[in-house]
Amino acid sequence: MSRAHERVAVWTRHGLLALPIAFVAVFLVAPLLFSIAIGFWQRVGFRVQPAFRLDAYAEFFGSVRLLVLERGLIVAAEATAIGLLLAYPVAYFLVFRVTRSAARVVLALFTLPFLVNYIIRTFSWSWLLSRTGPVNKALATTGLTHAPVDWLLYSDFAVLLGLVTSTMPFMIFPIYLALMGLDRRLLEASWTLGASPARSFLRVTLPLSLSGVFAALVFGFTGAFGDSAVPIILGGPGYQLMGNAITSTLDVLNYPLSAAMSSVVVAVMLLLLLCWYLAFDLQSFLGKMLRWRF
Amino acid sequence: MTRNPLAQALLWFVLALILAVLYLPLLPPFLASVGVGGPEGGDGFTWRWYASLGDNPLLAGAIASSLAAALITAVAAPFLGLLAAMAVRELKAPRVILLLVLLPLFIPGVSLGLAIALFLRELDLAPALWSIALVHILWALPFATLIILTAMASFDPVYLEAAYLSGAGRFRAFREIELPLIRPGILGAASFSMILSFNETIRTSLVQGPLNTVQTYIWSTYLQVGLSPALYALMSLLVLLTVLLLALSLAAGRRS
Amino acid sequence: MAVCLQPAGYRDTLSAEGQQTLEERAMAGSSIGRRKIVQAALYGGTGLALSGALSGAWAAEQVSFADIGVGDPGGDWSRYTKATGGDTVNLVSIGNAPSAILNVLIAGGGTKTYDLINIVGGMQKPLVENGLIEPIDTARLPNWAKDSYIAQYLKPGTPGFDFIGYDGKIYGVPTVLQGDSFAYLPEATGPLDSYGALFDAKWKGYVALEDNYTTAGQKTALYLKASKQASIGDPANLTPAEMKTVVDFLIAKKKEGQFRTIWSSFEQAVNLIVSKEVKVIDCWEPMVFVAKSKGVDAVYAAPKEGYLLWAMAAYLVKNPGRSPARTKAAYALLDFMLGGWYGATITDLRGYMTNPEAPAYARQHPGEFPAAKAERIAAIDAGVKKKFQQGGTWQQRWPTAVDAYEAEWARFKAA
Repeated sequence: MSRAHERVAVWTRHGLLALPIAFVAVFLVAPLLFSIAIGFWQRVGFRVQPAFRLDAYAEFFGSVRLLVLERGLIVAAEATAIGLLLAYPVAYFLVFRVTRSAARVVLALFTLPFLVNYIIRTFSWSWLLSRTGPVNKALATTGLTHAPVDWLLYSDFAVLLGLVTSTMPFMIFPIYLALMGLDRRLLEASWTLGASPARSFLRVTLPLSLSGVFAALVFGFTGAFGDSAVPIILGGPGYQLMGNAITSTLDVLNYPLSAAMSSVVVAVMLLLLLCWYLAFDLQSFLGKMLRWRF
Repeated sequence: MTRNPLAQALLWFVLALILAVLYLPLLPPFLASVGVGGPEGGDGFTWRWYASLGDNPLLAGAIASSLAAALITAVAAPFLGLLAAMAVRELKAPRVILLLVLLPLFIPGVSLGLAIALFLRELDLAPALWSIALVHILWALPFATLIILTAMASFDPVYLEAAYLSGAGRFRAFREIELPLIRPGILGAASFSMILSFNETIRTSLVQGPLNTVQTYIWSTYLQVGLSPALYALMSLLVLLTVLLLALSLAAGRRS
Repeated sequence: MAVCLQPAGYRDTLSAEGQQTLEERAMAGSSIGRRKIVQAALYGGTGLALSGALSGAWAAEQVSFADIGVGDPGGDWSRYTKATGGDTVNLVSIGNAPSAILNVLIAGGGTKTYDLINIVGGMQKPLVENGLIEPIDTARLPNWAKDSYIAQYLKPGTPGFDFIGYDGKIYGVPTVLQGDSFAYLPEATGPLDSYGALFDAKWKGYVALEDNYTTAGQKTALYLKASKQASIGDPANLTPAEMKTVVDFLIAKKKEGQFRTIWSSFEQAVNLIVSKEVKVIDCWEPMVFVAKSKGVDAVYAAPKEGYLLWAMAAYLVKNPGRSPARTKAAYALLDFMLGGWYGATITDLRGYMTNPEAPAYARQHPGEFPAAKAERIAAIDAGVKKKFQQGGTWQQRWPTAVDAYEAEWARFKAA
């Protein structure tokens, strides 16, 4: 009786745990597979016909649109790196040098700007950095410049600024959580054993916070890579990322090309995830979780 | 650990600087909402944009839809994220599960929106609030899951083992031992989900059906006819409201 | 209106018939009784059908109206509701890119959700061939015949017709008419009268183009043809080779640093003018109106190559499952949009020319449109009419080689 009971309990639990997987499988994987398939279909007028052709992929890889992919990867990597260099120290500071309540206030302050619509915030930057905008005016009054600085806006600088300000706050939180959960006794043990603060950090704190760093990198990179607004609002003439390029192909109802481009993006992201899986033992990421045996 | 007060002050200053840069773009919309500046200049200090917020029935409907979708997402995404995090650590294929859950992040927004829209059309399901919420939950799920996973990663299962040894059932052990410890993670996931839902534009635009959300309305007017300062007023009100709520909760927290 | 059409006593008659059928039902059992029931039912049924036909919609219809932003009269549809006796409008704001529009109909809300869609015209080809819109029966629109602009500018057989018609049939109701050129800051550049100003090295780094191959591309083609820098047949419908020439020219200019940016939204373009970030900008006239209202002296040029003319069209979404009552309400809305109040409101709010009744309505209703507004509406109307008189080329929103256009434009942006 109790064995059957146990089995029911186990199956209910497994069912419950499988819920998010089922959710994603139905509403995401199925449409995704469908859209990957369309990348191989043939265009007939405005329709698409099932077929297996590599025309769309050939068109993407053989054209200038490939440059957009390259640029996207580079700029996303840059933005993520800068974001991490800012987010980690901030999180560290909030965990180790600041009271709990103060940290919570600061974290809340980091999330408040996101209540203002993203388009409005990005567009705000384009006004702030314009030739006649406040930043240039401030620079002129302090005498640092004699003429409006052109590269503040419609440039790679502006795009990086926009991407970093929109993704960095997202990166702080997971690192904060990871550092918060750190067992301080381990650090104390390290000091007791004579390690310098820097060594303790590198050997104890950093590795144990890797789960948070991983999450931060994922948030940062995917956020920057998938951004559609910053490139067209803050970028130079014709600056675009993959999201904009895909929308452009949809303007002419070129479904196979847009599907092929999306598939390439997904493939690249999966490749990056695979690299992470291989480079970092899941043990260090999941930490104590892998001791779970039940 | 000695705390050099000068170093502490310096670090606080740097933090304040970072926050200042993040808050800078909030100033122009606020100034524009009271008519004194911003991108298109102003006619002079006025409250009329705040007063006009009630006049536009379209905006009222959009606010209602956005709010509803955000609340649903803030509840559903952390819930599913919690289950997913538990699945990652308990079921036999953590990497595959993690991959599945992170998938929505990797798909470009416009492609995701279009794929789901076509899928819904094949199933002959009419888009409405539920499809907007669906897309928002899908988008927030990876964030929620990763945050909760991060919170769980530092939780030592030995406590749960202790609880089982003392005779507690799995659910009870989870609820009374683990949940309180990962609560900041869950709350963080909930607020992340709400923020993500509130900012979501492109995916939503393809499954909105007969509804407007604040984001799609702003996107549409921004593109074709220009933003009205009333929208800036709305945003400023939202920030103000949240600041008040935060202050209240802080005060309440301090008292308890 | 619907309520008034139905005479007060009719409902009483109906309930009498209803009562009759009840009595007949009470006699059920005998075959004679049954035949009488059937007869009564038939009578009752016909009576219901008649009453339905006479009174129109018994329940109020809500027309789902997808709009890119121009068609929103500030949320005030009260006059339409009053005119139709209760029908309301649910306006859904959608993005203005062809991808947003087409995909929202093909997939998104789809043809089952929206009844009308109000976008920049000329999109009939993809819309009709994908089975998304249906022809409009202009006989059901009393205001159609009154709109002389349609007869004047959108005659069948002229390129203007391509903005509302396809294959000889009319699909779109022209809610807005306009001509595009470019704007400049006269204090910085002096008077300008050619699209060449956009490519003049004097203003290097102070020029912005629209991110749109059908407008910016066509203006460039017009200029290149007029200045004989390229051999172009029809600037409105370039061959892939011609488009390549245009884009080569643009890429050369881009590499020289001619363009400050390529804008993709109304808000961006207005900001560029008001903040004087650029001196010459390929844009739409309402942006100049906004700039002027902010005290910036901007002028919308009258180029010698001619304006780029266009119209907004409200299409009827193809939905075989739509109820006749809803279709009727949709037609009523289309007719309302060709009316004086709507036209005047849209001209005032958005700065475009709408229909001939608009200026007259504004003048005749000083309570709704104060004198200053009425003057402004008349001025805008006259201004656009002048553009049409000066002549120009109709914008080609869906050129034959549109795929080549998009690929070449992508090349321009990526360069």
